[in-house]
Amino acid sequence: MSKYSLRVNGQTHSVDVASDTPMLWVLRDALGLVGTKYGCGIGECGACTIHVDGKPVRGCQTPVSKVGTAAITTIEGLDAGAKHPLQQAWCELDVPQCGYCQAGQIMTAAALLKSTPHPTDTDIDREMDQNLCRCASYVRIRAGIKRAAEIAGGAPSLKGGSQ
Amino acid sequence: MTRPSDTSSLAMDRRAFIKVSALLGGGLLVGTYLRSGPDSAFAEPAPAADFTPNAFISIAPNGTVTIIAPNSEMGQGIKTSLPMIVAEELDVAWEKVVIVQGDLNPAYGRQMSVGSGSTVGNFTALRRAGATARAMLIAAAAQTWGAPASECTTEKSVVVHAASRRRASYGELATKAATMPTPADVPLKDTNDFKLLGTRVPGVDNAKIVKGESLFGIDVRLPGMVYATYTKCPVFGGSVASANLDEVKSRLGVRDAFVLDNIPGLPSGVAIVADSTWNAFSATRALKVKWNEGAVVSQNSAEMAKQAEQLAKGTPPDALPADSTRVEAAYHYPFLAHATLEPQNCTALFKNGVMEMWTPTQMPAVGQGLVTRALGLAPKDVVVHITRLGGGFGRRGSNEFSIEAAAIAKRLDGIPVKVMWMREQDFAHDNYRSNGWHFFTAGLDRAGKVVALHDAFVKMQGGPGDMSASGFPFTAIPGSKVASSKLPAGIPTGYWRAPGDNGNTWATQSFVDELAHAADRDPKAYTLDLLDAVPASARGFDRAKMKTVINLATEKAGWGRSRPRGEGQGLAITHTNNAYVAIVADVTVSRAGDLAITRLVAAIDCGTVINLSAAEAQVQGAMLDGISAAWFQKILIERGAAEQTNFNDYPMLRMAKVPPVVDVQFVKSSAPPTGLGEPGLPAAAPAVCNAIFAATGKRVRTLPIMDTDLKWA
Repeated sequence: MSKYSLRVNGQTHSVDVASDTPMLWVLRDALGLVGTKYGCGIGECGACTIHVDGKPVRGCQTPVSKVGTAAITTIEGLDAGAKHPLQQAWCELDVPQCGYCQAGQIMTAAALLKSTPHPTDTDIDREMDQNLCRCASYVRIRAGIKRAAEIAGGAPSLKGGSQ
Repeated sequence: MTRPSDTSSLAMDRRAFIKVSALLGGGLLVGTYLRSGPDSAFAEPAPAADFTPNAFISIAPNGTVTIIAPNSEMGQGIKTSLPMIVAEELDVAWEKVVIVQGDLNPAYGRQMSVGSGSTVGNFTALRRAGATARAMLIAAAAQTWGAPASECTTEKSVVVHAASRRRASYGELATKAATMPTPADVPLKDTNDFKLLGTRVPGVDNAKIVKGESLFGIDVRLPGMVYATYTKCPVFGGSVASANLDEVKSRLGVRDAFVLDNIPGLPSGVAIVADSTWNAFSATRALKVKWNEGAVVSQNSAEMAKQAEQLAKGTPPDALPADSTRVEAAYHYPFLAHATLEPQNCTALFKNGVMEMWTPTQMPAVGQGLVTRALGLAPKDVVVHITRLGGGFGRRGSNEFSIEAAAIAKRLDGIPVKVMWMREQDFAHDNYRSNGWHFFTAGLDRAGKVVALHDAFVKMQGGPGDMSASGFPFTAIPGSKVASSKLPAGIPTGYWRAPGDNGNTWATQSFVDELAHAADRDPKAYTLDLLDAVPASARGFDRAKMKTVINLATEKAGWGRSRPRGEGQGLAITHTNNAYVAIVADVTVSRAGDLAITRLVAAIDCGTVINLSAAEAQVQGAMLDGISAAWFQKILIERGAAEQTNFNDYPMLRMAKVPPVVDVQFVKSSAPPTGLGEPGLPAAAPAVCNAIFAATGKRVRTLPIMDTDLKWA
């Protein structure tokens, strides 16, 4: 086992884990941040998407030993009040079905919106092609990203966030 | 289409199973009895007069309405839609309703989420429960005010007596309402007066999902918890001969490794217990097991295909009527994995003789039963908490993961353990959708009308998915026949979203399209003519409803317009879980053979729509799920084991291939709701395949579609 000091969601954490442990399992087992999900372990499904220094990466393909002092952001730390435009849009348009993939979808989409505030369908298809949704909620993920872009641009958020 | 629903199972029980009592500390508690569903494979008898309630509505003095949702939530939306039904009749402000997921509790009776049955089985019971509580709240107010109950009305959690301009909240009235006599047969709302049902209500857990809060089985964390894997023989039915346990035990973070054998219901295997999921996975990769592979090692997919052809030859069609033209075609669909995005898992703690479990399961009672039998525990000593499910699709009924977790937890006595399946293990040990073969022979008369239809059908022994001639199009053709044969058992098969219909509707609806083209007729007109030939007496099948959805879908999709080569439109229909569905697919196929689905239009009659948002999402998702499987997926068996191991060799539909338009049209209906989790699936793949034929002249007769070269010139 080896000790690592990690910057996760703005806080510093010490963990003692095997050096080849992927960030996915460091977050889930060592830090109790279970929003990041295990789906395939080979970087195919995107359920474990996190941001490392703002860039979306696969948590299952990112060993803890390679992270160093980089800033890690998970779904739990995407927005302090959990009111990121994507989180608002997802509730407003009722995007989730089973919901298992949605943290990964939102993290990929958040990186897309940062680089491309008004994505076209082509932009969305290209970036979101990395994330699987077994319930195939894709139609609403597409609509949710467009709606989030509107909210980020100042459009008022509507109902859907209450319960 | 192959399993017309038994309408008698849909007949609503007129008895009101309602028990009312006072809440401890004041308030009203209404208990009712919910059935698990209409599917005959799961249906339980109606409760006796002294029934035990299995669902509860409580109204606290502070006005909070709490509804316990007893069935598992896996994305089908019932944790939202079932309480909506109560709220409609109770006339309560939806924002004031709190939804609680019930555990498996003897007091709740049986709890299952299968067969698209949760809503169908419980619509009337939930309405009565809500209406009864409302009537008792009104009675309490009327008595307090000395006003006739008939003059009192309700609006959003308040009883109102307009004449005296008096108002009282449900919270104020709840304690007194619990002392009122329970009315025997309360009137239900006219469906035209529904205010909440039929509107779009977002899922009650959405806010937690988008924050990444702990909800799913995989998210369960207990103090001192350890992590385990359980490795079974890749060849089905095999057992452990020996394993390098000492080497595994010496690995980083591994606490123990041991063989489990001779536990009833649990396949022989190796348990590895570690201090983290990753260390358990790493040790599992280093595990070397010598297996006794058993007899199933002789099975493989190529051999099964040969056997199926031989079996079909044993059930030849009768001679065709004189002067008829013979049309023959053979269709094949492969095994499919469920591939729920949350791999199977279960957390268990055995302490002081009690097994406490946290299980993502569609059938918690099955898991409890398996664990009691496997470990010799009394049912009262097996406590099951139902977590949210990261997808179900029929996978999470079998509950073998429950036995694995319980058997390891019993050995660890006092230490909680989460058993986590690696994705590769999830693919290797699924209960697959059975493969199937249809060898069709039809006779067409000079006018192109079908005068004979024979289907030599072959699938694996065991599991769902059987065919009969009691569904469309067989019912339209007098003397038509389905002759079924079975391949030897060995590969485990089970329920997969829309069992039977998910493959058989693809085959039958593709063949109907072939017949239309053989007759040189428009496939829509040909299908409508066939429907006219279905006897009005055909059990549980309303051909007028089917025609309505066909006309609606084709109208919205602009059916019949001529299109250039490489573009095509296809139609397919299904009658699944008593819902009527027509789907039109538009595709383009490049000369090089690249397929793109440009639009899907579904029209569906599912009776009353409960939650428009969830209903639309279910149909969109089910269509795309059917297309994902049909386009890309197959599990091949080699040496008695599954060849596909992960999403790299078992591809799934991704965003770039999702059609730009996925339109869902609901037929307005005041009939009781049908199932809706599955009906959107079966007709999607044949609609696409029929569209491919229209575009290219190429008929896809083997799934997945991507194995067919669609190149055209």
